[in-house]
Amino acid sequence: MPSLKRALPAAVLMSFSMPVMAQDMFRDSQLPGARLAPLPLGGTHQVTSGSAFNPDISIIVDTVYFNEISGHVDDPAGFEAGHDHGHGGHDHGHDLDEGFNLREIELAFSASVDNYFDAFVMLALDEHDIEVEEAYATTRNLPAGLQIKAGKFLSDIGYINSQHPHDWAFVDRPLVNEFLFGDHGLQETGVQLTWMPNTPFYSRFGIELLQGETEGIAAYEGREDGFPFKDESGPRLVTGFAKFAPDLGFDHAAQFGLSYGYARAFQRGETHSSGRQESWDGDSWFAGVDAVYKYDAGRSHGAGDWVLQGEYFYRAIDADYRESAGATPTSATTRQDGLYLQATHGIAPRWQVGARAEALGLTNDNALGGFRDAQGQRIGFDSFGTSYRYAGNVTFRPTEFSMLRAQVNRADFATEDDDHDGDGWSFMLQFQMALGVHGAHEF
Amino acid sequence: MMYKWLIGLVLLVSTATAQAAVNVVATTPAMGMLAETVGGDAVSVRVLAPADRDAHYLQARPSMMAALRGADLVVSVGAELEVGWLPAAIRGANNPGVFPGRSGYFEAAAQVDLIGVGGPADRALGDVHPAGNPHVNMDPVRMAQVAHALAERLIRFDSANAELFRANAEAFERKVEEHLPVWRERVADAPGVVFFHEDADYLAKRLDVPVLGYVEPLPGIPPTARHLRDLVRDLEGRDGVVIRATFHQERGPRFVGEQLDWPVYALPLDPEVGATADDYFDLIGQWVDAMAGKL
Repeated sequence: MPSLKRALPAAVLMSFSMPVMAQDMFRDSQLPGARLAPLPLGGTHQVTSGSAFNPDISIIVDTVYFNEISGHVDDPAGFEAGHDHGHGGHDHGHDLDEGFNLREIELAFSASVDNYFDAFVMLALDEHDIEVEEAYATTRNLPAGLQIKAGKFLSDIGYINSQHPHDWAFVDRPLVNEFLFGDHGLQETGVQLTWMPNTPFYSRFGIELLQGETEGIAAYEGREDGFPFKDESGPRLVTGFAKFAPDLGFDHAAQFGLSYGYARAFQRGETHSSGRQESWDGDSWFAGVDAVYKYDAGRSHGAGDWVLQGEYFYRAIDADYRESAGATPTSATTRQDGLYLQATHGIAPRWQVGARAEALGLTNDNALGGFRDAQGQRIGFDSFGTSYRYAGNVTFRPTEFSMLRAQVNRADFATEDDDHDGDGWSFMLQFQMALGVHGAHEF
Repeated sequence: MMYKWLIGLVLLVSTATAQAAVNVVATTPAMGMLAETVGGDAVSVRVLAPADRDAHYLQARPSMMAALRGADLVVSVGAELEVGWLPAAIRGANNPGVFPGRSGYFEAAAQVDLIGVGGPADRALGDVHPAGNPHVNMDPVRMAQVAHALAERLIRFDSANAELFRANAEAFERKVEEHLPVWRERVADAPGVVFFHEDADYLAKRLDVPVLGYVEPLPGIPPTARHLRDLVRDLEGRDGVVIRATFHQERGPRFVGEQLDWPVYALPLDPEVGATADDYFDLIGQWVDAMAGKL
C-alpha cells in the first residue's frame, strides 16, 4: 500500500507538469473542427459533440407506483437494509410506499473544469432531502492509458454498481448489491486510479482508495461513548477491479469483471432502549465476479436485441461482538453472498421484456446478531436460509427521453422467525423522463 | 537495471509510433472511406459502426474503447449523430488525445454548412438537433470539402506525407466533380421523393430533387397510422418514390408505396466497412437511381 500512496500523488503531479500538452491544447482549440462553442452556427468549424451549455445539465425524474399484491416481506433473513439501525421504527429511507412515489430526481451536471480536469456532479432529490450521488473530477492529461478520478463516486466494482437508477433494466436494485453494500451500492469518497493497456482487446484495471463508510462492508462509527471503537483514519476501504472484453465484432459484445475489496475497519453499534450498547468491531473483505453479454440485432429502436447480465458477490466480516460495553468479546465471522441473473430482449421497436432471478444468502452465516443457541450458549453467529426473488417486466420507450415500465416481483425470502411470512407478490409501474442534454450511456 | 528496461521500452514505443501509420478510428463506414481515401497507405483505419445500423442508436462497447485507446485521430460525422455513444466510448478509452476539442478529434459536420441549423430545441418536435442535420456524408460535395479539412488534420500527425494527403483530397474532389453532372442528368426529371427520415436531404438538395415528405411523423418517432394516411392524402395523384434506409421499418414505407402506387426502395446510408471512394460513389449512384425511380 505505501508504494501506491506514493504513486498516486506522483501521477497527479505528472498531469500538471505537462506544459507542452497544455500549450498544444490551446493551439488545438484554434483548429477548424476542434473548437468547442456554445451555439454552432453553420459551417463555423465548431464541433458539436462538446457542450452547447456549460455545464451540460440533465434532469431525470423517476416516479413509481408500488402495490403489494399479496404478502408483506421484510428484509431477507440475516440481512438488514443499509441505513437505519436505530430501534423502534424501521425507516428504510429507500423503500417504496404503497401507491405513488416520487422516487428520485437526478440532477446531473458535467463539464470540463479546465485543461486538467473534467467534472461530473449528480444530485439526487426526493421529497425530503438532497443527496450527493456523485461529485468527482477525472484527469484529462495522464499518459499511458492512466486516469485518476477523485471525489465522491460510485465504485467501479462489479457491473451494476456504477450505474445510476435510470440505467437499470429493472425498477429496483439487485438484492446482492443492496444488502451486501448499501442502499446506494458501494458509493464512497476517495480516489480511483485506472489503467487501460493499449491492447487489441479491451482490458481495464483499477484500484480505489475509499473513505470506508458503506454500511454493508465498511460500517464506521469511530470513538464514541460506551462503545469500544477506536478512531481509524481514512482511507479505510481499498478495492481493486479488472475488466476484460474480447472483440466479438459488430453484433456481439461481452465483458467480464473481477472485483475485490478490503476494509480495515468495520464498526457497528446499536443502543437499545434499555441503554445496553451492543457492538461489533473488526474488519471485512469482499470479492465478486460479473459478466454481461449484449447482442445487437441491428434493427430499429432495439428490436431483436438481447442483454444477459449476472453478478456474484461474497463478503466476510470478522468482528468482535460485545453484548454490552464492558463485556468480554466473542469473535466470529459473518459470511454471506448473493447473485442475480437477468435477461432483457427487444420484442418490437421500442418494446423490451425482462426477467431476473436473484438469490441472497446461499451462504448465510450472520455474526452481526450476537445469537445464542437453544441452550443459551453464545455461538457467535446464526445460519439462515437463502432468500429468492424473481422479477418480470415490460418496458416501453416512446423516445430516448421517456420510459414506461411495468414490473411484477415475486419474493420468496427466508425469515428469521415464524412470525413473518417471506412470500409476497408486488407490482410496480415506473415512469421516467429525461430533460436536458442527450445522455450517452456507458457499456 | 529497472531504468534501463524502462528507457528501452520508451524508446521502443516511441520509434514504433514514429514509423507506424496514423491510427485513425472512424465512426461510420463513410467516414472510414474518406480517411482511407485521403490517408492512403499512411493511415490505418478502423471503423466502429457497420453500414447496416443506425449510427444514432448505437451503444458504447468495450471494443470501441479498445480501438479508441490506441487511436491518434477520431473521424466522426458529428452534429450529435453519435451523441448517444461516442462521448461515452471516448470517456472509457483513457486516451486524452482524442477528447473533443483536441487535435485527435475531427467532426465532418463541423467543416461544412449544415441544413436545419438553429431549429427550435423543442423535443415535442421529435429528436431534434439544433446543431443541424448531421447526415453530411450523403452529400459528395460536402464530403469533398471534408476531405480537404481532413487532409490538413492528418498533416498534423504525419507532415512528411502532406503532399500525398492534399493530392488525395484533390483527387477525391475531382471525382465528385466528374460524377455530379451524370447524377444531375439522371434525376433531371425525378418527380420527387418521400424519405423515411431526414437522412438523405443533403443529396436531394444537392441534386434539386424535391423532398415531398417523410414516413416518420417527427424525427426519431416511428410512423403512426394517422401520419401515413395524411401523407398519402397529401400526395394522392402525384408521382414519386419512397426510399428508406435498410435499418428502418419496412411497413410504413410499404404502405405509402402501395397506396400511392410508387416504387419503394431500401438502401444503406453507408458503404460497407472497408469501402473505396468508388464504392461510395456507387452507393450515391444507387440513391440517385432510386430517386429517379429507375433502380
